[in-house]
Amino acid sequence: MNVTIEKLTKSFGEKQALNIDHYAIHSGETIGLVGNNGAGKTTLFRIILDLLHADSGCVTIDGLVEGMPVSCDTSKSEEWKAYTGAFVDTGFLIDYLTPEEYFRFIAKISGISDAVLHDRLLQFDGFMNGEILGQKTLIRNLSMGNKQKVGIIGAMLHYPQLLLLDEPFNFLDPTSQLAMKYLLETYSKEHHATIIVSSHNLTHTLDICSRITLLEHGLIIKDYDRDYAMLTSEIEAYFKGNINI
Amino acid sequence: MTFSRAWLIYRSISQNQRLRTRRHPMFEKKLAMKILSYIFVAFWAVYLVMLGFTAYSYFEGSALEAFDWIDGGMIWFLTVDFLSRFSMQETPAQDIKQYKLHNIPTGFLLHTFLFRMGLHPYNLFWAFFFVPFGIRAIPQFYGIMGFFGFIIGWWLMYVLNSYWYLFWRTMLNRNFFYVIVPLLTYAALAYFGIFFDPDNQWLFEGTIRLMRGFCQWNPLCWLVFVVVVVPLYMVNFRLQKAAIYVEIAKTEVVKQFKTHNMTFLDGLGVIGEYLKLEVKSTVRNLVVRKQFITGALCMLMLCSLFSFSNIYDELPFMRVFICVYCFTCLGVMTLTTIMCAEGNYIDGLMVRRETVLSLLKAKYYFQCMILIVPLLFSLMPIIEGKITWLTALGCLLFTTGAVFPFIFQLAVYNDITIHLNEKLTKTGRDTKVQMLMAGGALFLPMLVMYTLVECFNDDVAAISMISIGLIGTVLHPLWLRNIYERFMKRRYENMDGFRNSR
Repeated sequence: MNVTIEKLTKSFGEKQALNIDHYAIHSGETIGLVGNNGAGKTTLFRIILDLLHADSGCVTIDGLVEGMPVSCDTSKSEEWKAYTGAFVDTGFLIDYLTPEEYFRFIAKISGISDAVLHDRLLQFDGFMNGEILGQKTLIRNLSMGNKQKVGIIGAMLHYPQLLLLDEPFNFLDPTSQLAMKYLLETYSKEHHATIIVSSHNLTHTLDICSRITLLEHGLIIKDYDRDYAMLTSEIEAYFKGNINI
Repeated sequence: MTFSRAWLIYRSISQNQRLRTRRHPMFEKKLAMKILSYIFVAFWAVYLVMLGFTAYSYFEGSALEAFDWIDGGMIWFLTVDFLSRFSMQETPAQDIKQYKLHNIPTGFLLHTFLFRMGLHPYNLFWAFFFVPFGIRAIPQFYGIMGFFGFIIGWWLMYVLNSYWYLFWRTMLNRNFFYVIVPLLTYAALAYFGIFFDPDNQWLFEGTIRLMRGFCQWNPLCWLVFVVVVVPLYMVNFRLQKAAIYVEIAKTEVVKQFKTHNMTFLDGLGVIGEYLKLEVKSTVRNLVVRKQFITGALCMLMLCSLFSFSNIYDELPFMRVFICVYCFTCLGVMTLTTIMCAEGNYIDGLMVRRETVLSLLKAKYYFQCMILIVPLLFSLMPIIEGKITWLTALGCLLFTTGAVFPFIFQLAVYNDITIHLNEKLTKTGRDTKVQMLMAGGALFLPMLVMYTLVECFNDDVAAISMISIGLIGTVLHPLWLRNIYERFMKRRYENMDGFRNSR
């Protein structure tokens, strides 16, 4: 899926949260959005997902779905929802369900049968690490890390062609962080999906992303294509330069 | 603590409380909401003023003075006030929590909040009634000082009632069934103090004597107030002190839940999945469950009264009127906060296609299915010949085809999330729009029935209601889609509201 952002602006009162003139994400890319707190990462996610109204501009998603060309402005159509998966925060979770019930709910409304759901959940077995299924616990009683895992799996269950994850490494223990990295890399390769990930964890983001976009105060400061050694040093230099003690 | 420091803290807390109301995300953003709430308050104020002026004329020329009738009926005023406080007054334990880590003695904080509760403007709201009434009724007997004594006396009764309410509101947070105790107390006082023995109406006469004492500035009456209010205040002090620690050390007991797939609903496809959500939300979320149980109890109470007693048999209109409410009350009580529970996970729903439409359909079918209960209850009066089957069917269809479409409109405008499992719930969840719509949903069938029964007869009324209801019911896919489309137009505003109130 290609994602194109044109002349996008968003302000909260006097404060400008986003101002992106043009930004294009190409099909199959894994994008890492990095930036300090308040940079506009979550705002951008919410606008792409039509959860927030942009002051101006638009987000277009286009590409091929099952061989058919599709294209839509996310604020004007609901078509994109069929091939998009996302997890931003716990506001995506129906927390009075058990994880099994939640996954079944997602599966049913996405047209996935019980047998297929069972097979798909097996693929997330390593990531779940025996802490999610069969716990006889509601999602609201899970730890933050496990809620995060439920949300991420819920977003990937229907094999979306566009996957957006906001801070997916948050709350995860080191083992799960590595599993998460592996999961995203495998998913990208197997499904040729476009993945957009925001994170404060530079190491993980640099490891999995083919392109890094640096946001600051709502503006795209830099857009790095992959060149690992240069990328790492440049990004680290940028954030070190921000340290003000 | 020095006086100046105590005064400084008191002022800061007062200011914070004012700011909390003024800066509430819902109140701050919407001019319409502000205007509507002012209109709402103004309406009741004007209504009470009118009532106050006319009440005097109503009792003029009777055996007792007008003010005696009002004073003697104090128990009714206090009962109404007690019930109205459920949507107005909060417990201080949650508010104190955020000050607890600061260097302020807990005792001082509690005294501040309890004292401010006594001074709350709501305790003066009934003055809209008592001032115009008192102006007409009191000065001719007790002079202008008597009038002030009368007003202050009533204000003190409401202050007392606020502490009495606070006690039971806090107990109610521990166990919902505590709500029965104060209601039984009011009922028992009214029954034994006024109705039980017509020759010894001790409550009626006692409250008259007390209020006359206030008018005469009798020190004994003021002493009675002090003797009652001081222990009540101290009990509340202790109770709130314990409640703060309950609030801070709150640990949720994690129950084990089996996964229920409710496969019998699988045949309904996506709608079936949302029906499962409705059922699970009602069973597993404390707030939703309470709301449902309260509505169901009201419905069962009305149904039982209607089916097994003859208290409404005298007036034909009342029979039909109660019949309508048997069907509508649960729906109105639970649907007033439609979409508010979903506010907790609205983002997850909105990134999936037409989920809100399916959700609305599921909610509608769920509410329609519940109507089987009043329908079964209505069999008894049908068999007894109190109502015709046409009337029962009319009430049923009018509910599904007119009342539900009306109350479902709130799905477009509701944008405040209710916290699904919060034990110590805060009041003020219901917005003024919700109150107005709920009032309308209860008033609408009454208006239609009244007009039709008065103009024609029971059967014509029933057939008209069946016709109106049938059209609304058959057209439910259309009006639900219309609601969905309007919801989608307002989606950014609603999602913003839901997120801000989470």
